[in-house]
Amino acid sequence: MRASVFRSIPHGAWPAKPPAVAPLREVPSGAGASPAPELWAGVHLPGWDSAEKLGSLAARAQRFTPRVSLAPPDGLLLEVRGSLHLFAGVTGLRSAFMSECVRFKVQPVLAFAPTPLAALTAARAGKALEVLNAAQLVGQLAPLPLTALRWPEETLARLTRLGVHTVGAVLRLPRAGFARRFGAAQLATLDLLTGRAPDVRAAFRPRERFRRRREPGCEIASHDLLLAALAPLFADLGVFLRARQCGVTELECLLTHRQRQVTRCVLRLAAPCADAQRLAGLLGEHLSALQLPEAVRTCELRADSLVPHRQGSENLWQPGEQGGGAARETSGLIERLRARLGPEAVQGLGLLEGHRPESSWSLTAPPALTSPPAGDAAHAPIHPCGSAQRPLWLLAAPQPLAMQNGRPRRRGPLRLVSEPERIETGWWDGGEITRDYYTAIDIHGVRLWVFRERAAPHGWFLHGVFG
Amino acid sequence: MRAPRGLPTGFAELDERLPGKGWPRTGLIEILVSRFGSGELYLLLPALAALTRAATARWCVWVAPPLIPFAPALASRGVALDRVAVVGGTRSLWAFEQTLGSGACDAVLAWARQPKPRDIRRLQLAAERGRTLGVLFRPRRAARQASTAVLRLSLEPLAPGVRITLLKGRGVPRGAFCLNL
Repeated sequence: MRASVFRSIPHGAWPAKPPAVAPLREVPSGAGASPAPELWAGVHLPGWDSAEKLGSLAARAQRFTPRVSLAPPDGLLLEVRGSLHLFAGVTGLRSAFMSECVRFKVQPVLAFAPTPLAALTAARAGKALEVLNAAQLVGQLAPLPLTALRWPEETLARLTRLGVHTVGAVLRLPRAGFARRFGAAQLATLDLLTGRAPDVRAAFRPRERFRRRREPGCEIASHDLLLAALAPLFADLGVFLRARQCGVTELECLLTHRQRQVTRCVLRLAAPCADAQRLAGLLGEHLSALQLPEAVRTCELRADSLVPHRQGSENLWQPGEQGGGAARETSGLIERLRARLGPEAVQGLGLLEGHRPESSWSLTAPPALTSPPAGDAAHAPIHPCGSAQRPLWLLAAPQPLAMQNGRPRRRGPLRLVSEPERIETGWWDGGEITRDYYTAIDIHGVRLWVFRERAAPHGWFLHGVFG
Repeated sequence: MRAPRGLPTGFAELDERLPGKGWPRTGLIEILVSRFGSGELYLLLPALAALTRAATARWCVWVAPPLIPFAPALASRGVALDRVAVVGGTRSLWAFEQTLGSGACDAVLAWARQPKPRDIRRLQLAAERGRTLGVLFRPRRAARQASTAVLRLSLEPLAPGVRITLLKGRGVPRGAFCLNL
């Protein structure tokens, strides 16, 4: 058996991606005992404002260093001192990062500096600086415009009125006077910029996911053995989910074969589930509906999105009893049916505001049992047509009826027993119908809902059965 | 022993003849019809409407119905649609058994072609497990087959109503009677 553990064991399988063991808070070299000076890469992503995209780029950026920090909405910080030698220096790292950004369709500005804020400020100013030595920092920052610091408009305007336009000029102002006139917060920013004060950045933590693979000793052809082979993976999954108080709503099982394509089996759940045994049972249902093209060589479980989930307490009441809801039984039933019969297996019924019989109802998602039923008259839906003569069964499409002497037939002549009801609608959306509906009784006594088209050729159709 | 209180059918004459004065709340019943659409659904609708509108209503599931249950007509007959689910597709007997035994439903209706006596037995056990009323619609010729269902009746359409023959049930009087739906 070989189990590979993704993102949790420090010495992983990828040499290019250093392990994610960064502490939550970074303590810069100036403050602590760390002898190696830091080198930060500041990334400015012009025009970005989506936290989700920033998160996924940050996850990819962990290829370069485990110490990645977000600077929302459009910035990213990477501490790269330790990784420089892996990418042939700053130039190599820059080009590798740029090619990583191609898939995000963005042209980032990348600047290197000993402090995170300096790197970010340079990148925001559009300068691809490469300051590798702390001694050169202030000199290199001097020509940058003040706007890159993203100070409040009012502060920037006052500084402009003083004739201060660049970072260099503002660094030359006396500290005490600057703090008095522009606020201690701005002075603190300058200290972070030059490295006078430690800049503590929260490390980026990627979204966790579960991936385990197992290669049984022999090839597996039967479903029972396959489930047995998956059992240790499910045990791992249970421990994994319990430790994180998380559940999954989607679980993927990949089975590889000797020659054929990989068999994918995706389990979707109605509610987050952290119970590995239940998941195993559901996947078993799913797999038993699956025809394996060939014996299985390896199996893998993947849960890519984890949802916070707490184990609920058991019900005191039986479902349906006073105070007992059947919500848990219901979601369990939905999952079992879906696992075996497919995602469309269970559906609810809904009403639509349509005057055509075909468009006055719809299939919906299965009804939830969380809300009390719409039992009182106020919630009773009133159908526009006043459905006294509506059949309980509707045909998916009207079915043409044979005719004899202008009368409809179906296994014998049909007897019309109602006045015609004219339904004339849909002219505004192209689905125009003009029909006269009748209740008919066939020779066996079954009541049918039939209509005659008003337009030529005046055909008769069966549209429903009263039930 | 007195039969437990049943679920009122909505038809006084039928209630009088059924054990517990109504449909059983738990267990499998069979309704045998000569043709689909003989009035069998109208016979059940008042009970279904009452079940779906109860305060602690569970689901009412239709397993593999032969046509589309027409939502506006159900709603106008008082069925709360937010308690109705439709299970489609193949393997209807398997789905019927799962649904009956899940405990998530008050009533499950199913249309099955030729269930074997062994299947009926399993369905009956599942209905007891889930404390669910299961209704199985079968063709009339199945009357000759033995069945473990708690109640069996057969149905023929008449000009204004139906003619019901009670075939099996604890303490039910044999014989046919007419009911105006």
